[in-house]
Amino acid sequence: MRLILKIAWRNLLRHKGKSLVIGGILFLGALLMTVGNGVISGMDRGIEQNVVNGFVGDILVISDKQKSDNVLIDMMGSLIEPIANYPQIKPVLAGLPNVESFLPVGKNMGMALSDDPNAQPGYIFLLGVDFGVYRRMFPDNMSAQEGRLLEPGEPGILVPKHAREQFYNFTNRWIVPEGCSLVEDNLSKDAKENRADLLTMDSVVMMGMNVENSSTDVRFPVKGIIKYRALDTILGHFCITDIESYRECMGYFSASAQKIPVAKDNQNILAMQDSNLDALFASDNLMVDNNRPMVPTPGAAAAASAPLTGQDIESGVYNLVFVKLKNHGLQAQTLQDLNRALAEAKTGARAISWKKAFGVIGSMTTLIKGALTLFVGFLFVVAIIIIINTLTMAAMERVPEIGMMRAVGAQKRFIRAMFFGETGMLAAVFGGAGLLLGALTVNVITLMHITTTNDFVQLLYGGDTFRPLLRWGDLLVIVVEIGLVTLIAALYPVRVASQIKPLDAIARD
Amino acid sequence: MTKPNIIEIRGLTKDYPLGKTTVHALRGIDLNIEAGTITSIIGPSGSGKTTLLNIIGCIDTASSGAVQVAGKEITGLSDRKITDLRLHTIGFIFQTFNLIPVLDVLENVEFPLLLMKKQSAAEIRKRAERLVEAVGLKEHSRHRPAELSGGQRQRVAIARALVTNPSIVLADEPTANLDSETGAQILELMREMNRQEGTTFIFSTHDSNILKYAKSITRLKDGRIDGGQKAQKVPARKRSKA
Repeated sequence: MRLILKIAWRNLLRHKGKSLVIGGILFLGALLMTVGNGVISGMDRGIEQNVVNGFVGDILVISDKQKSDNVLIDMMGSLIEPIANYPQIKPVLAGLPNVESFLPVGKNMGMALSDDPNAQPGYIFLLGVDFGVYRRMFPDNMSAQEGRLLEPGEPGILVPKHAREQFYNFTNRWIVPEGCSLVEDNLSKDAKENRADLLTMDSVVMMGMNVENSSTDVRFPVKGIIKYRALDTILGHFCITDIESYRECMGYFSASAQKIPVAKDNQNILAMQDSNLDALFASDNLMVDNNRPMVPTPGAAAAASAPLTGQDIESGVYNLVFVKLKNHGLQAQTLQDLNRALAEAKTGARAISWKKAFGVIGSMTTLIKGALTLFVGFLFVVAIIIIINTLTMAAMERVPEIGMMRAVGAQKRFIRAMFFGETGMLAAVFGGAGLLLGALTVNVITLMHITTTNDFVQLLYGGDTFRPLLRWGDLLVIVVEIGLVTLIAALYPVRVASQIKPLDAIARD
Repeated sequence: MTKPNIIEIRGLTKDYPLGKTTVHALRGIDLNIEAGTITSIIGPSGSGKTTLLNIIGCIDTASSGAVQVAGKEITGLSDRKITDLRLHTIGFIFQTFNLIPVLDVLENVEFPLLLMKKQSAAEIRKRAERLVEAVGLKEHSRHRPAELSGGQRQRVAIARALVTNPSIVLADEPTANLDSETGAQILELMREMNRQEGTTFIFSTHDSNILKYAKSITRLKDGRIDGGQKAQKVPARKRSKA
């Protein structure tokens, strides 16, 4: 082995040009793979951390009836199935040891309406939450750029910068939060161009839609213009409202409505499913008695005016439950456990990962990683061809030397080992150098603590700070890839070299 | 007392295709070479000397016939066994055969011993140094082939051929690139090995000086042994005069 390595090493030094060509390719490949993987891993981690810790948690619970898992960013505007039995789901979540916290939310689209007859109404994402609980679960995920954040239990809406621009496009009105004055610097390009005729509004009217397509128009007072700390490009499309206003807008049972006692006959009607609706017209005792005076149900007014407790709020309808885990690494196992528990408790709900809930955004890093892998794969194919060509030429040039070795007694395996030794050394030295430089670059970039407020760059960074990350697994993959490229590239030249006969050397002379 | 034959050749032919025709390089050779002898194979260019030497050295194959080297029938042997036979039994000295360019003189001479893996590194080094000294290259032992003259390279090749103490040494024009004094020294070295170790030397040569060392001469012409296809004995007195 020592002899083989000695000959291999000296041959590399002897054929410096060829060694540099092959080594250069391996170096570039390793460098590109290392930095690329570092950037993508960092992006992956950034998106994960910012989404998990700042927006939805690790897992989302959705209704069993929900067809698409893409419940957060579905551009087709599909409605999200309601969850009407959160009190039944809550103990299931509380019973799982890896669950740190959870938050039921309403999430759907609402149509932004305007009093301008020329306006083109459009849809806006609404996230209805109990804001006090929301802030406990995501304490630092947003800041008010204008106005202020919601107080716990306070009705109103928080509009992100991007959503404000959408509102402006849909309503021809520029939102200025209640009690605030217009901030010229924050105007969008379109609003600036239209500054002379710009009309403002401090509340928005939203028409909600639910699965039955019934609708209610609700006016939301705008309390603040917000910016999500990270990934504002993606998350900035979600307006945050109080859960009760959201429910009212969507035509859901709100907690306050549920506090109003309902007469037994009316409860029967409310409990009817579609298939039984015909019974309404077949049974006399359910028909409305027109002679009976229309009086409020006793105690209804008093019940409705009483302050809502957390328990009251939770009895209403939601669409999703955000679940944050203690150990993010156990997401798959927890998902499995949670789904089993939800099924056993007959909750009619199921759990999905945040990546599934985010659709293409959740898979973005996987897609970019795939694209990089394809690119590097292409580079490696080119590298393999060049290396094969260069090594085969080298083998042909060394026919006298190799033939002589064979003549004096070197077996084919010795020749093979010598060639593999040469390519292996090139891979180790140049590939290793590329990997080390890549790792150094990644670490230096991380130490530089590059931050950005640019939305698009934030998307690439996976947050507001560019933190490339190299995992041991990534490094191992790069080492294996370089080794594989070297092996594949060396196979043919090694075969050519091992087929050289002593007689070929004499014939060459 | 007759010594056993180290080489036994029967009905050896070698044909090369050359375009649409076939070149008959050897046309039925029968030859026995006794162990421990110095044999010269002579003949004009194209007579088949090198081809015969290559087949005996197991670096070329016969078209037909039987060839026994050191008691082993080599036709039909696997590449691995043939290579082993070359390593352990045969030493080569070729006129322009290359050395390993990245190894120095001493390392080149050590090379076959390192392949054999029979001795320690120190023993290998000691034996290689002795051979390098014997061929007069002690001062150049750390030089690489590119730093040596043609004659010096040939001496390295000779040292490398002899270092494993092979039963047979095949030499194609071994002194062609050497000055007469060095050539004589090398030939003396070979004769010494022949006497002490009983090494069989088979030369292909035009050099009349080498013929003086030969115990027998085989003359080839047009792929056949000239003169009844028998080894031609060199008179003993002629050898002693040389």
